[in-house]
Amino acid sequence: MYQTTYHKGQSLDQVRKLHAELPEPSYISGGFTLIPAMKNRLAAPENLIDLRALPELRGITRDGDRLRIGAASCHAEVAGSPEVAQSIPALALLADSIGDMQVRHMGTIGGSVANNDPAADYPAAVLALGATIITDQREIAAHDFFTGMYATDLAEGEIILRIDFPVPRSAGYAKLRNPASKYAIAASFVARGSDGSVRVAVTGAGEDGVFRWFDAEQALADRFETASVEALQPDPGMMLSDLHGSAEYRAALVKVMTARAVDAQGSVDIC
Amino acid sequence: MNAHPDGGRSGNALGAGDIPQMNWDQTGPEMKMVRDALFRHVGKPVRRKEDHRLLTGKGRFTDDFLLEGQTYAAIVRSEHPHARIISISADAALAAPGVLEVLTGADMVQDGIGPLAHNPLPSTKFDMKLCAPGGGIPFVGEHHALAIDKVRHVGEAVAVVVAETPGQAADAAELVEVEYEALPHVVDSAQAAAQGAPVIWDEVPGNVFVESSFGDWDATERAFATAAHTVEADFHVSRVTAVTIEPRAAVAQYDPETGRYELFAGSGGAVKHKGELARCFGIDANRIRVHSYDVGGNFGARNRVYPEFALVMWAARRTGRPVKFTATRSEAFLTDYQGRDLRTKVALALDADGKFLAMRADNLSNVGAFCVSLSPLSKGAGLITGSYDIPVAALRARAVFTNTMCTQAYRSSGRPEVTYAIERLVELAARKLGVDPLELRRKNLVHPEQMPYRNAVGQYYDSGEYEQNMDRALELFDWDGFAARKDEASQRGKLLGRGFANYVESSIGSPKERAEIEVFDDGRIEVVIGTQPSGQGHETSFAQVVADMLQVPVERVFIIIGDTDVVSVGGGSHSGRSMRHAGTVMAMASAELLALARGHAAEMLETAADELAYADGVFHQRGTNRSVSLQDLAARLADPLRVVTDNEMHTPVFPNGAAICEVEIDPNTFHVAITRYVSVDDVGRCINPMIVHGQTHGGIAQGVGQAMWELCAIDHDSGQPIAGSFMDYGMPRTDNMPFFISEIAEVISPTNPLGVKAGGEGGTTPALATVTLAVLDALAGMGVEDIAMPLTPQAVWQAVQDAANTQAKK
Ligand SMILES: Cc1cc2nc3c(=O)[nH]c(=O)nc-3n(C[C@H](O)[C@H](O)[C@H](O)COP(=O)(O)OP(=O)(O)OC[C@H]3O[C@@H](n4cnc5c(N)ncnc54)[C@H](O)[C@@H]3O)c2cc1C
Repeated sequence: MYQTTYHKGQSLDQVRKLHAELPEPSYISGGFTLIPAMKNRLAAPENLIDLRALPELRGITRDGDRLRIGAASCHAEVAGSPEVAQSIPALALLADSIGDMQVRHMGTIGGSVANNDPAADYPAAVLALGATIITDQREIAAHDFFTGMYATDLAEGEIILRIDFPVPRSAGYAKLRNPASKYAIAASFVARGSDGSVRVAVTGAGEDGVFRWFDAEQALADRFETASVEALQPDPGMMLSDLHGSAEYRAALVKVMTARAVDAQGSVDIC
Repeated sequence: MNAHPDGGRSGNALGAGDIPQMNWDQTGPEMKMVRDALFRHVGKPVRRKEDHRLLTGKGRFTDDFLLEGQTYAAIVRSEHPHARIISISADAALAAPGVLEVLTGADMVQDGIGPLAHNPLPSTKFDMKLCAPGGGIPFVGEHHALAIDKVRHVGEAVAVVVAETPGQAADAAELVEVEYEALPHVVDSAQAAAQGAPVIWDEVPGNVFVESSFGDWDATERAFATAAHTVEADFHVSRVTAVTIEPRAAVAQYDPETGRYELFAGSGGAVKHKGELARCFGIDANRIRVHSYDVGGNFGARNRVYPEFALVMWAARRTGRPVKFTATRSEAFLTDYQGRDLRTKVALALDADGKFLAMRADNLSNVGAFCVSLSPLSKGAGLITGSYDIPVAALRARAVFTNTMCTQAYRSSGRPEVTYAIERLVELAARKLGVDPLELRRKNLVHPEQMPYRNAVGQYYDSGEYEQNMDRALELFDWDGFAARKDEASQRGKLLGRGFANYVESSIGSPKERAEIEVFDDGRIEVVIGTQPSGQGHETSFAQVVADMLQVPVERVFIIIGDTDVVSVGGGSHSGRSMRHAGTVMAMASAELLALARGHAAEMLETAADELAYADGVFHQRGTNRSVSLQDLAARLADPLRVVTDNEMHTPVFPNGAAICEVEIDPNTFHVAITRYVSVDDVGRCINPMIVHGQTHGGIAQGVGQAMWELCAIDHDSGQPIAGSFMDYGMPRTDNMPFFISEIAEVISPTNPLGVKAGGEGGTTPALATVTLAVLDALAGMGVEDIAMPLTPQAVWQAVQDAANTQAKK
């Protein structure tokens, strides 16, 4: 790790000021993505500004048909929250399936979404549920937010305060974990909105990170059953290929995981 | 492979009359006494003496040692698999804050430091001897601590930076500029051995530096020519790394007044490291003191000296300050000595009834850029016929250089490889003949009446009841209940498969061991021994042995290891040698100590030695009230009550057993779950069953790990390792392992006084075979006939696709 200076954030104004004025700044939340990158000398922020104590990033509340999750909520808080369990049980169970116990008590939803790892879990839920990312500057719809592998629409210094999820009629998540990293090799989040619309978001498999599988959405909107998915053929051309899965294998998995997520409405299917 | 190769006619160096000593013949009243005294502690699950220390953070691992004024080393490593070093510029690094020294290969040559003295050729009496193609001593490469003119693998050390803090050292290491001229590289053993491959050592133009043949080639050819059936197969047993929980580390200091180096470095044997480092530095061994106490995992990876050990010693001398190196996990993945990587082509000839007639094998070991050890090739060579009575065999054993990290003996060196080959071959034969694979195995097993059994390549199996292991494993597994379990699984949409393997392995190891036993006036008994545990519990199981032999409570016995100023001789821990070698020399030392003590006791009690009876640590004059204890003797004698006993023992032993794995495959995701695992292991005399079961469990996990997830993947085009962290290198974990059913079989070995074989590797040896065979069994209905390890979901999916494509073509 390179030399760095840690600043504990006290207020939104203060952290924004620090970020604007200090050389090579970076926000840090749980640090479970950033710190490993720093240890491997792949990231070298000179100043780390910790967001976790800011009140604007804390708390999980149900507000009418919206579930609001503060960006600094760690995965264990989301997994253990009665509000989440009652509103979107698949989201609580998704959080409970992230990494291991240590990861779940340190990693945060804001950090995960800001980082947009192509195999991270939350981006699939955020995209499929049509959530809104609330920042210190604006509100960004999920489908505008994720712009490619490790890329988001966030501007330099922009802070995610919370994520607002419309409560769906039902949602389910299915994932096959990479036996090494335990991240998703392929995972699919299938949500049915209160208006009957269907959204399918796939993580772990796409060459460009999380993506919506529109063919499946359409087929499922017509008939919400696994058979609708089984008739489809995801395109290997848009899949990731690495040591753990070829593009062809991932394409096959996308179908299997999506069908399982349909089956798992109200829950998750993790293997 | 049919023709007898011109070169490598070494055969096994054994002469016809050279049969290992099968019966331990050292007798005498004291030896009888110590052997008879066993079993008060031996055979009992005595709680581990070391655990309290380890669990409360009081372990002494290398990085725990902080020497006054300590500085830190960071290594500049090659990014190329193969390149000439044009120049190295250290100016910027030297100018960086806190930097004390930057050293390169040129400096090393100037300071007269030679290559690491690995001594890779197995050389005990009954090792399979390996030679260069055409005969003679093989050229093994020169493994310098820093590359001199060219680099031969990614991660090879090119320069070392010493600074006041670890951060400063790492920062400055990035400033060292190395200019390379890239050379063509080769990482795969078959490609490296083929015509026209890039040459890694000018001294070995074809890269193959070992070629030996064993067995009876003519008889084998004749048997194959007339056999009713033959089967053959080609396997690659993949490359893995040990992933010790404690990364390798070393800290050294140098005393200019005495000219002595002191090195703290956890390893598989401090005494051996001392000797090898002395040769590397060209100095007398007594100028080096090595400390190795608690070691967080070895598995073979720590048996050989690492470049950084020499570098911190040398840098400490140059800087006049202690220097420490601690590998990062990334460095461990890149440059810990790795394991396996054997290509083997095997064939079996059978008669019409399924009796095995002959076997052929062609083994090619990938040693990497330098030859650190030929143990895997040699060990495997002796066991190609496995647990089966195969009258004749012919084997060509070769080793080849490649542009990869060096390989070393890795848990059960060489044996899982050949067990995998023979067990898969037997299964293929059963399929070809349309017979039950278990029946085929039974028909060909070596039977107890044949012991000691000389196999077709000249190894003598000491003892064992192989069929009984099989029966017991099948029973524990509920083999017959499989059909019902398979039905139940298929109702859940899952494919169930089972894989069975017999195994026999050899435990040889460094032949010399010394025990020093001393009784102190407070009743404490210290045993100085030259083995090196890395989790195996020697402090407990060795104490059990000595406590029984001297008839004292186990709490009074303390095992002293790890400081070469105290431990003068010792072979370390590898090849399952520790309990057997230590147990033998401790038995001899105990007998000697009792003989010595008896003399003193007789003098003290003014009686004849044979008037004394010994029990529970006390000599008692028969028919009187007069007695004296060992503790009293120690208190009253002017000289220490102490013996030093040396032993040299070459005879190998052959632990053996049977194991079965059951897997459940999801036919949609191709995820494999291990649902049942049974292992029956003949370890000879079992000193502490709790510890042995623990070893079996760890051994199974390690073997299953290789079969299922682990792989040192290398991109062939770039020569770059691509599994450099836990993100990509899969490991066995609590959540992907079943509960194991393990049982210890104790067929006492006649070769040593305790009857010990070995218990550390049996879990690993058959596991590659059992897991692979179970997966193949589960996929049999889909036409899958072969699959390479690791059996990741991707690999299983691919095998199923390939089988479907092949069938579609037909
Ligand atoms: C061993 C291990 C296993 C893991 N397994 C999984 C897994 O299975 N699935 C999974 O999804 N993830 C997994 N993770 C990732 C984990 O969930 C991360 O913690 C998470 O993705 C990032 O959250 P963080 O709070 O740690 O972010 P940090 O590491 O603190 O930050 C990551 C990035 O986001 C930025 N950032 C953080 N918060 C904000 C904010 N509020 N506004 C703007 N930018 C912000 C930071 O500046 C930084 O660039 C794993 C991590 C580890 C170490």
